Amino acid sequence: MVSVNKGSKVAEVLIVGAGPSGLVAAKHLTQSGFDVVCLEQGERVDHGSYWGDKPEFELMIQKRWHPNPNVRDLESDYPVNTSESDVPILMYNAVGGTSIVYGAHWQRFMPSDFRVQTLDGVADDWPFTYEDLAPYYDEMEAEIGVSGLGGDPALPAGKGPPLPALPIGRMGRKAAEGMNKLGWHWWPAPNSIASRSFEGRNPCALRGTCRNGCVEGAKATFDVTHLPAALKHGLRLVAGARVREILVNDQGLATGAVYIDRNGRERRQLARAVIVCCNGVGTPRLLLNSKSSLFPDGLANSSGLVGRNLMLHPYSTVVGHFDDWLESWLGPAGQPIQSMQFYETDTSRGFVRGAKWHVLPGGGPLGGPPAPGRPFDEAWGPAFHQNRDRIFGRSFEWGIMAEDLPEEANRVVLDPELADSDGIPAAKIIYDYSENTKRLSEFHLARAKEAMEAAGATSVTVRGLMTDRSEHNTGASLRATGHLMGTCKMGNDPRTSVVNQWGRSHDVPNLFVYDGSVFVTSAGFNPTGTICAVALRSVKHLIADRRNMKVAA
Amino acid sequence: MSGIIDDELRETFVAVADILIPAYGAMPAASTVDVGGAPLDRILTLRDDLLETFIRGLAAMAGKEPEGAARALNESDPGALATIGLVASAAYYMNPRVMQLIGYPGQERRPIDPDAPSEYLQDGLLQPVIDRGPIYRPTPEQST
Ligand SMILES: Cc1cc2nc3c(=O)[nH]c(=O)nc-3n(C[C@H](O)[C@H](O)[C@H](O)COP(=O)(O)OP(=O)(O)OC[C@H]3O[C@@H](n4cnc5c(N)ncnc54)[C@H](O)[C@@H]3O)c2cc1C
Ligand code: SF4
Repeated sequence: MVSVNKGSKVAEVLIVGAGPSGLVAAKHLTQSGFDVVCLEQGERVDHGSYWGDKPEFELMIQKRWHPNPNVRDLESDYPVNTSESDVPILMYNAVGGTSIVYGAHWQRFMPSDFRVQTLDGVADDWPFTYEDLAPYYDEMEAEIGVSGLGGDPALPAGKGPPLPALPIGRMGRKAAEGMNKLGWHWWPAPNSIASRSFEGRNPCALRGTCRNGCVEGAKATFDVTHLPAALKHGLRLVAGARVREILVNDQGLATGAVYIDRNGRERRQLARAVIVCCNGVGTPRLLLNSKSSLFPDGLANSSGLVGRNLMLHPYSTVVGHFDDWLESWLGPAGQPIQSMQFYETDTSRGFVRGAKWHVLPGGGPLGGPPAPGRPFDEAWGPAFHQNRDRIFGRSFEWGIMAEDLPEEANRVVLDPELADSDGIPAAKIIYDYSENTKRLSEFHLARAKEAMEAAGATSVTVRGLMTDRSEHNTGASLRATGHLMGTCKMGNDPRTSVVNQWGRSHDVPNLFVYDGSVFVTSAGFNPTGTICAVALRSVKHLIADRRNMKVAA
Repeated sequence: MSGIIDDELRETFVAVADILIPAYGAMPAASTVDVGGAPLDRILTLRDDLLETFIRGLAAMAGKEPEGAARALNESDPGALATIGLVASAAYYMNPRVMQLIGYPGQERRPIDPDAPSEYLQDGLLQPVIDRGPIYRPTPEQST
């Protein structure tokens, strides 16, 4: 039996998903006087439960805090079938969403990212430009407390981050010296990590466990940066609420959602408008699960594009090992420096588009789980000590975040068999690297190797794109980003896009999508800064346009 | 000794841990930093997902000459040897003496001074990047 949410009146707006995009929307809507309910399948995270200040932290990131939901396997997670994907899917399901475990690289896209068709003849242009989005980038950077250094020549001049840059450390310096020898771009990197006390957050103390939970409370997670203001302004947050489907009436308008609470009870939350913020996998999963006689192929899917054009930022790295003692477990992780030297298209390289590079610390002595089957004498006995002496404290990586272009064949579908613990069909990923991505990755790996050598690395370890799908759920040598984009593309034409430039569904006028699903292209940057700027632009438009919004009666 | 695993498996673990992590230069062998004691129980409590594979591997090696048995396990059940190696390494690297010997203070606090002038601005490290000027392609046309 379905019961209507206790004490719930019809909400003015229902938000599904309490990650960065959902909580940006929640904060701004409630501050403007909207009555908002947010349904989130995960729970509040107790920041005291993080392991970053305990000796076991490296062990715990391999299971309880693993970014792959299939490995972590918590009650709040839903499984994702990646047996037909080149890349595993990473995310975190909780209040605060994936920001709980993200790396806090807080990037803007570059102007060319919004004009790839015009400039490079591939994919589509976005329905707005860098300049249109710039004020929202500024506002988000101020809301979130980004640390960084203004004046990066890879971006148009602007305000620059509100807080001073975090130190680049010995690793950043080493890497920068190599780049200078080659005459290549580098810049102290922007991080959504407070470098000084900021709105209740403490300054970063370089523990380097940012992706395992920041025990200092320096990293911006949205349960800390955005939720309190939303609650103060009346947000009704329901945690542990797993939404199974969005409801529609016979006029084709969204009327709310059905969800399962943690007691296994099916409940219904009614609303005049619905905003879906479940990320590039969770959002198409929910829309595809929302079938009705009016929308037999899933909600908002008249274009057939819900779930298609999935982009994941294929990832590869070059690890450099140095004679010098670099204290390379220190944070931020986060990123000390970045490079956009090879970001823009140069067709003489045999591919279009490019990648952002970032330096990442080498971590603690335990590292990732040992690769099973490694020849005994390479891993154990004296080699155990020799490997550590060569690597630990003396190594860091240049990570390469490849832009992958949208392809309809790369997609999220409903798995015919796999379901979550509430019996809701799970997502299945079908995703292959394109030829462009493979060439791009090869070129960038070769350049990053040169950069490491120029910096004085005595040896390098090149880790190309993941190819062994059996490694997805073991956590071994994980190379994936958790950047989930493109599956509800935005655009002006309802035949070739799912939502308009304000995130509003072309098919269902009171249904919105604000997460990375709406991306037209992926750019080669970590996406959350742009997800939030786009969500902010969309929600401000919704607020300004509230009188004209068509709503369910 | 009692705990999560029985004494025989614990003895097997310690013997194999010494093969995987022997004494080397200044570094102690695994058994001399108590990898088979309380740290083992703590690790297996926190990571009970490892327990089944861990015990399977140890059971296969119990009573055998440790080096030969570990090498054989790496061939016959590589996942189990990797798990035993992970547990041994984790216990080893959490030992304060080992941490001190390798120069690792743990993920300690290293407070920063955000107002200290950045070295890279003072010593000119960043200057060549600034001097080369913009490297981005501007928006080709204004939004419509
Ligand atoms: C390991 C890792 C590192 C990362 N590092 C960076 C980085 O450094 N910089 C960067 O920019 N990005 C990074 N990312 C990506 C970043 O975390 C995401 O881009 C960002 O969190 C997306 O925000 P979102 O609100 O769109 O989705 P999410 O944060 O994924 O939130 C979606 C929420 O919706 C909920 N949900 C989903 N389905 C349902 C349902 N049916 N019912 C109820 N609730 C539902 C989920 O539980 C989740 O809480 C990283 C990701 C990972 C995994
Ligand atoms: S490096 Fe800074 S942000 Fe990262 S965990 Fe440590 S204190 Fe937190």
